Amino acid sequence: MDVEVDGILVAAHELKAPLAVLRQLALSFDGMDDKNERIRHEMVNVSERAIKQVNDLAKVKRLDDRLFEMEPVAVRAVCDDVTRELAHLFGISRRNLKIKYSNRSRLVVANRELLHSVIYNFLLNAMHYSDAETISTLTVKDKNNFVRIDIRDFGPALPNNIWREMRDGFVKQPTSIAMRPGSSGLGLYIASKFSYYMNAKVGAVRHRDGTSFYVELPVSRQAVLPGV
Amino acid sequence: MIFVIEDDPIMARCIKNAAGADARIFSNAIEAMQALDEEMPKLIFLDILLTGPDGFTFLNEMISYPDTAKIPVVIVSSLDFGSKDLSVYGVVGILNKDTMTPDDIKDYVRKYAE
Repeated sequence: MDVEVDGILVAAHELKAPLAVLRQLALSFDGMDDKNERIRHEMVNVSERAIKQVNDLAKVKRLDDRLFEMEPVAVRAVCDDVTRELAHLFGISRRNLKIKYSNRSRLVVANRELLHSVIYNFLLNAMHYSDAETISTLTVKDKNNFVRIDIRDFGPALPNNIWREMRDGFVKQPTSIAMRPGSSGLGLYIASKFSYYMNAKVGAVRHRDGTSFYVELPVSRQAVLPGV
Repeated sequence: MIFVIEDDPIMARCIKNAAGADARIFSNAIEAMQALDEEMPKLIFLDILLTGPDGFTFLNEMISYPDTAKIPVVIVSSLDFGSKDLSVYGVVGILNKDTMTPDDIKDYVRKYAE
């Protein structure tokens, strides 16, 4: 492992430690009324999101080590997990999410952990940039020998430079996005890096009233188990 | 008695709060090793990345003696151990600091120290 990567992993560990402590402290409170219970819940959620982002960043730096194995993955199950995790956050942010599964239940070739992060980051991005009370959509559909996951938001359009980078395969680095204020583009950077690692095609479509981000994953030849 | 070996004082207190009044905190492995000469805990919650000798040094020391080798240990760490089997060290469980809850600690206490 090179010195830079090693340093980043140490920094990630150091950043994560206080977040994990904050989360534990919030979980330790007992006997709260409803209002404080909500605050506690949000403290836990915020800590967990930050921990996840630090973990994802550390994973980006470990991609070259080829530690993440590709396997047959059930896309709908991963989407269900992520949307369940983010339902509360969408709720308190007064954003809505609609899920449309029109794919056949086929497995894709991916790494479950990385795919989870791709969908998580795209959805978080959609939530962040959608206008209040709009409905973002997560669509999973078949496209020949690929399964395509689309996440559509309704908010400010994506700047040209980021759109071009997404079209070309991945966002080269986190950067300030003036037209989408308040973001470093870190989530898109992580999602595009993970997609690239999984040989998935990633991209964005600009609409007049928002953006769709998509990832296309190759279908696995492994048979689908009943109930998946 | 339960030992909590954790060098972050706030995290140590959180674990102790969940484990109950019978828990004793050690901020490093050396203090905990010395304490093992005086009393045998029913359960140990052990961080791995400690100041000074790390958690694995402590585990190796523990399994060197027949009496301490029997003490169940729960690793509490932010490192990802995947599905590694550490039972040769007396490890009965691994809790990830990023995702664990006080109930996870209580479950181990109920199982091994009540």
